[in-house]
Amino acid sequence: MMSWIQRKNLFLIAILCLCVLAALPLPASSYVLMWVFLMAVYLTLALSYDIVGGFLGYMNLGHSTSFGLGAYSTAILLNHDFGLALALFLAIVFTAAFAAIVSYPFFRLRGAYFALATFGLISLMEVFATNLQHVTGGSGGISTPPGDHMVPAYYLSLVAASGTVILSHLLGRSRFGLALLSIREDEEVARSFGVPTFSCKSLSLVISSVPAGLAGGIYVWNVTYISPPAAFGLEIALSPVVMAMLGGTGITLGPLVGAVFITLIQELLWIKVAYFHVTIYGVLLVLLGLFMPGGILRTRWLWPVVQRLGFGEKIDYFKKQEILQR
Amino acid sequence: MASQFLQVVVGGILLGGIYGFAAFGLSITFGVLNILNLAHGDFLMLGSLVGYSIFLSFGINPFIIAIIIIPLFVVIGVGFYLLLLKPISGKPPNQLLVASVLITLGASIVIEDLTSFFWAHPITGIDYSLPSLALYGLVISETRLFILLFLLILAVSIQLYLQKTYMGKSIRAITQCRGGAKLIGIPISRISALTFGLGVAIAASAGVFYITLFTVTPVIGIPLTVKYMCIVVLGGLGSLTGSVIGGIVLGIAESLTAYWFGAEWSPAVSFILLISILTIKPEGLLGRK
Repeated sequence: MMSWIQRKNLFLIAILCLCVLAALPLPASSYVLMWVFLMAVYLTLALSYDIVGGFLGYMNLGHSTSFGLGAYSTAILLNHDFGLALALFLAIVFTAAFAAIVSYPFFRLRGAYFALATFGLISLMEVFATNLQHVTGGSGGISTPPGDHMVPAYYLSLVAASGTVILSHLLGRSRFGLALLSIREDEEVARSFGVPTFSCKSLSLVISSVPAGLAGGIYVWNVTYISPPAAFGLEIALSPVVMAMLGGTGITLGPLVGAVFITLIQELLWIKVAYFHVTIYGVLLVLLGLFMPGGILRTRWLWPVVQRLGFGEKIDYFKKQEILQR
Repeated sequence: MASQFLQVVVGGILLGGIYGFAAFGLSITFGVLNILNLAHGDFLMLGSLVGYSIFLSFGINPFIIAIIIIPLFVVIGVGFYLLLLKPISGKPPNQLLVASVLITLGASIVIEDLTSFFWAHPITGIDYSLPSLALYGLVISETRLFILLFLLILAVSIQLYLQKTYMGKSIRAITQCRGGAKLIGIPISRISALTFGLGVAIAASAGVFYITLFTVTPVIGIPLTVKYMCIVVLGGLGSLTGSVIGGIVLGIAESLTAYWFGAEWSPAVSFILLISILTIKPEGLLGRK
């Protein structure tokens, strides 16, 4: 029964999914397209969060600053008659440069301090977005030139999402990815073995900010409006973290599973419940922390499957520490 | 000009007293439990809203409210610890970090969302003020001055508690060396529960003063937690004097920013202060290497 679960079959399934999604604009309504578009944006965010949160092991709760910066700078550039490609490119460069600058003070922090400081960065960005009225439009937000971009934006988001999947996958197997994993396991030991920890950490933050900035740019191009709560609000800040944690951090498959799972839940449940969306997120966070910090993929039933597919380490991060403690 | 400047600084010091006091609650919790309680600011918010309700229904003086809600919030804090944090307390450091961030952040979001749903008045403040004091050309709000004095008395009594009693000594011992404290037979779990309760109660008590001076909305929690974390980084872990000094530095910085650049920029100050300290002096303002 397990025999069809193989690596090459998985790739076939992935390519099949992509083909179906690529053909979707022909028959599907714009509602479905928008739904898949948002899922792709969230998937991009969750996967790029996981580069720092999962591989490096630093909880970057402020990942949505990259999304918001990308969205805002794209919107501003589009309003100044830049082309889409140039606007997106400049937005990404700006986001990456910002990530490089903030990585210097932030990576002097560790653990919960790092998590809270990055989380605080979001509120700082919100203050800037609200107060610099002549640039960002203040609390009223900023609109971009209108137009129907649904189908091209949809394809663009698919490209961004699959690009991030490939990036995350390649990163997990590269020398640099190994350096990140070694920092996650034990930073001091990694440094004593000659891993340039500080530059590795900064570089990983920059790399993870690029897809997030791109996702923000595509999002604002399609939606044509961005405001401080939409860019730096709680929901956009927490979704990637919850998705990655729910699926399983540190595995490329994890955020993917988490993102699909959460967007499905949103679709099925949240349209029936008018209030308490944020509460549901909070309860989900608490339950994750209490019962499965390893995520869905690390549950007893799924882990052998994941390993069979060649994802995840030989000795799992979360299991190993339990063994060591005994 | 000079007197105006002085006026702003004095206002900042009075504000910083409350900051420092509330941050001390976060500081001891982090020192003993090794868990950064991201819901700390929300407990302050809850404290101020409960204080506000008591003030509305019974009209008790806020200073008395600040004392009578302490036992209530010790119970809430101990319950929170036993229900949510004790199950994860035995985990290895890395898992503990992930789990504690998820749990306290989740709890803080739930508290904020539920409070903003059930709280009828979106923005509230206690209408309580004393006449102002004019001193050498400076105008000092007597309410703030009394609050500062009151907090000072509370702080001194907490300091005595930490220095003299068995539990206080245990708290300090655990902060200094967890393993050693365990070896000599300090009941870590019980002390942790009580410390968490104490930290929450300190936040709630500070919240009552917060609402007498400022307006409170259900969403102030997380920004306040960030502020208090800045103070803890500024002042060092588990030290009451450090927290108070850090709080006063932050209070002055915020007041001066509001004075020079406008009040809408003062939320950014704590964070910029944090980043600049980390860049220049990573071990904290008063910290030792």
